[in-house]
Amino acid sequence: MTWATLGRGRLAFALLMLPAVIYVLTWRLAPALYTVWLSLTQYNIVYDAAPQLNHLENYRRIVHDSTLGEALRLSVIFAVLATAVELAIGLAAAAFFDSDPPGRNLLLGIFLLPMIMAPVVVGTVWSALFDRTVGPIPYLFELLHGPDVQWLGTPVTAMVGLIFSDAWEWAPLAALLLFSAMQAIPREQHDAARSDGASSWQLFFRVVLPQITGMLVVAGGLRLMDAFLELDKVIVMTGGGPGTSTQLVSMYVYKQAFQAYDLGYASTVITTLLALLAVAYAFYLRHYGRTLMSART
Amino acid sequence: MVLAWTLPAFFYLALLSVKPERIMVERSALIFWPTFERYRDIVVSDLGLPIWNSLLTSTAGALFTLALASLAAVTFTFLDFRGKALLFLLMLLPRMFPPVTTLIPIQLAMKTLGLIDTRAALIILFTGFQIPLAIWIMRTYLDEIPRELAESAAIDGASIPAIVARIVLPLAGPGLLAAFILAFIFNWNEFLFPLIVTSFHAKTGSVAIMNFAGGYKKLQWGSLAVLGVVMTMPVILFVLAFRAALIRGFTAGALKG
Repeated sequence: MTWATLGRGRLAFALLMLPAVIYVLTWRLAPALYTVWLSLTQYNIVYDAAPQLNHLENYRRIVHDSTLGEALRLSVIFAVLATAVELAIGLAAAAFFDSDPPGRNLLLGIFLLPMIMAPVVVGTVWSALFDRTVGPIPYLFELLHGPDVQWLGTPVTAMVGLIFSDAWEWAPLAALLLFSAMQAIPREQHDAARSDGASSWQLFFRVVLPQITGMLVVAGGLRLMDAFLELDKVIVMTGGGPGTSTQLVSMYVYKQAFQAYDLGYASTVITTLLALLAVAYAFYLRHYGRTLMSART
Repeated sequence: MVLAWTLPAFFYLALLSVKPERIMVERSALIFWPTFERYRDIVVSDLGLPIWNSLLTSTAGALFTLALASLAAVTFTFLDFRGKALLFLLMLLPRMFPPVTTLIPIQLAMKTLGLIDTRAALIILFTGFQIPLAIWIMRTYLDEIPRELAESAAIDGASIPAIVARIVLPLAGPGLLAAFILAFIFNWNEFLFPLIVTSFHAKTGSVAIMNFAGGYKKLQWGSLAVLGVVMTMPVILFVLAFRAALIRGFTAGALKG
């Protein structure tokens, strides 16, 4: 028996909870449902006074939308490459932290800064680094007599720039998750491997790595899903350009909604993406939920 | 090695922010007499307003979040009722929605309410955004409070509000602090929603940066860097002061409940 079941407690408790529940329902869940409803309507705020149901017309349009297809392709490329770089750097950093360097906690705090600071500032930092007038990266190329590249103004390099900035921001998350998995490995295993004469490399590849593959998949999955919908840094660094060469799928939705004012169609794209992600998420939770749970502590 | 990845980018931003205007494009000049004029200017110029807006709305939003979320967390922790797990899940669900999901309805709602470009709009939104995370964080802290403490008070005839006010909340201090800091930082960093519901009077620091980056970029790198540094300062302070709580919370935030 808990004390809460005593007497009139229940009502008071319900009242304590109510404001937060109503608030979340009103400002978080209801808007999401409204988006789903809008996806079934013709609603361009320039022409239409109110949303009008249009018999799944938007969903038919999606199938034939080649710009959307291209945006999806770019998002996949971006998400896969950025995640790969993040896992590689995260793994190296986690192994370093796992070796108990002096001042580990302070170093870890500094290392995590990029993911805690504002994404807009991350975008600004990398815009500056790549800028041709004030940036050190083009300057370095100049010193080494390399090609004079308009980093964020050329299709392929603009994507490379975005991937770098994303890796800088989120490799810390991968490092943090992998580090927590490494810490869970009993130290005796390290000692045993050492006394059997294993080198540091052997220790890492034969003992540590096999035991953290689960977390590698978890960290990779998290980053893939997040990077797939990346928007903030795209807006700040390239605006989707040059042309549409970095127009990731979120940027496409953003443009449809806030530059073409086609709210109905934008909602349709969002709803479809969400449905796809929900499937991915369910699959992912089913297989890796347990690793995820243990990561929280 | 680790620092070689993280720090140079920060230092370069800080460097740009104090580099005198006339040598701004001389990239070989890494050592110079720093100028703090732009930092002084920010206080008096119209760049001070967005920072002030950010500070005000992030703080107010975090406080309201805390008020609503901590009370709800008390119920979620101490009361057992049917459908509790389901309701809790429902509360955490919005954390999994990417922000684009609700951009459109929120902008429409704010237009209908006549709240476009007001600080009130931002405070309303910020309050809602962080409630799920705050409830979750508060719960992990409240779980550590021994139930016997509250039970014996109830048996001695204390009312529920009195128990919450006198026993539970005072013991939840560290949880409240952690939830406040996280909510504040997330609000402070928020970009998309301020971008679509504010334009001039209520625009936040992130939106101001965006306006700079989008507009006359080439001329204004110094001021842009100053804004970037100012926007990062509170984050650095919090990280240095509350590392442990933040790491715990950010892992949670990234895992999205």
